[in-house]
Amino acid sequence: MRRARQLAAATVLAVIGTLAIAASVPDIPTPYVPSTDLNVDEMLRLAEVQPGDVVYDLGSGDGRIVIAAVRDWGSERGVGVELDPKLVDGSRERARSEGVADRVSFQQGDVLKAPIADATVVTMYLLTPLVDRLKPRLISELKPGTRIVAHEYGFSDWKPDRHLQVSKNFYLYVVPVQVGGKWKLETALPAGAREYDVELAQRYQEVKGGARVAGGYLPAFEPRVSGDRIAFVLIDENVAYRFEGRASTLEMKGVVRWGTGAKQQQGTWRAVRATAVSEG
Amino acid sequence: MSGRGASLLTRRRFIAGGIATVGAIGIPVAAFSQFFDVPFVPTPQVVVDEMLRLANVGPNDVVYDLGSGDGRIVITAARKFGARAVGVELDHHLLIQSEESARQANMESRVKFVQQDFFKTDFSEATVVTMYLLSPVMRRLRERMLQLKPGTRLVAHDFDFDDWRPDRKTTIRKNVFLWIVPAQVGGRWRVRTALPEGELAFDMELRQKYQELDGFARFDGQPGGLWEPVLDGERIRFAIVDARDRDNESTLYLDGRVTPGVMEGEGTRGVGNQQRRFKWRAVKSGEVPPLKAEKK
Repeated sequence: MRRARQLAAATVLAVIGTLAIAASVPDIPTPYVPSTDLNVDEMLRLAEVQPGDVVYDLGSGDGRIVIAAVRDWGSERGVGVELDPKLVDGSRERARSEGVADRVSFQQGDVLKAPIADATVVTMYLLTPLVDRLKPRLISELKPGTRIVAHEYGFSDWKPDRHLQVSKNFYLYVVPVQVGGKWKLETALPAGAREYDVELAQRYQEVKGGARVAGGYLPAFEPRVSGDRIAFVLIDENVAYRFEGRASTLEMKGVVRWGTGAKQQQGTWRAVRATAVSEG
Repeated sequence: MSGRGASLLTRRRFIAGGIATVGAIGIPVAAFSQFFDVPFVPTPQVVVDEMLRLANVGPNDVVYDLGSGDGRIVITAARKFGARAVGVELDHHLLIQSEESARQANMESRVKFVQQDFFKTDFSEATVVTMYLLSPVMRRLRERMLQLKPGTRLVAHDFDFDDWRPDRKTTIRKNVFLWIVPAQVGGRWRVRTALPEGELAFDMELRQKYQELDGFARFDGQPGGLWEPVLDGERIRFAIVDARDRDNESTLYLDGRVTPGVMEGEGTRGVGNQQRRFKWRAVKSGEVPPLKAEKK
């Protein structure tokens, strides 16, 4: 019994030790384990790749994801980033023999440094420490609405927009527009022009907040951000106003609807940022 | 009386359940007639709107409101959403008030109010059932709800069906819950798929708890994965990984409708521009125990 406990303690220490090493040595090499064709299909399916997409695979191995994205899904372009020059050479060769060399490219280099800003889809099969180190770049450099698909290892603290389990785990994250902070919202409602001081707190795609009006505070119900889209409901004088629109970091605008069923009406709204972007 | 305000708020909705319980332990119902005199505090209109919106009520729907109070849900369903609606209410005065409101709204032809204990009401024609009832009453209704036509939408606010997870939940001032009555699909099934290269048949076992499913497939005795099963009323979908040939694995995505003992629909194999469609049909071949409830 005691020995068992000692063993367990030793194991725990060993695990902690390994983790500590992993954390202190930032560039532990990611092993090369190719995704099966089935996994590749599932990743591109989850990302809903279509013509017009630019698919980046971070840690592209033998190039199979990038090639499949262009060949099987008709994506406009595919870019692979891979550290191992031999795998990069092999990928280029494979792209030529598959007849897609003009639409795919492979960069030999570090995934933490490669330019990625024109991606509309990013796929990766990397270990969580590296995925987490990529996160700030993915959020700040990718356009809102860009889909990130992680195979088996997702971000440690970013809840996926979708989780799919088909043989393996696949996680979809949609890069959210940054809307945290204070906004001045103007709209014309049946009762007349209305101005709200909207305050939003954001953590990835999760938002909460409300609007300050003369003499009170209206909580925002059902607040949602997905890509560059935002939606929330304000209940003002017993009418539920449903705001929906598109957002950039500086401006939001869209349609506000009230009433239900056959009695539904709508107007427009616009908000401009009053303070700098703030994290929730 | 004001000290009782909080519990009285929902007490009216509880009358039917209360009387049924009281009846069971043999206390004369008449002794509790003060229940009928509790102040009436209705569901706020924004919450009424949200309940009907969440259920996606439309002109083809028949809405039953269990404990219909002053009739506002029933009348809103008819007036704003074009549905036919029936309110079931025990209190005679509220019933008269509801009928008067319906007359004023010119909705008499589309709504009906029944003075009855809703545990005795036959609402099997409902396509939507709305409720604002306390948890014990909800729990007692749960089995009856599961017997309704698959696809029937149930909407409640504040109180839920305990371990039956809502299909959707929104918060517009109050918590509003939507459940879709699931078809019964638990059991063993023989599935035949008409793939372009020839028929592929396999056995499948599904375990069910409400709308939640788990299961596996078997190809000629070899286990195969069954993934992402989703049951939405009478519609079912799932993915099957056919791994008989290790070097040439493929995933079949099946989508179909459930009728008693039979499911059928269309499936796809492959992805992107390699995708092929096929028809499939499954026949039930045996029973299995239900899925164990997940801990909340």
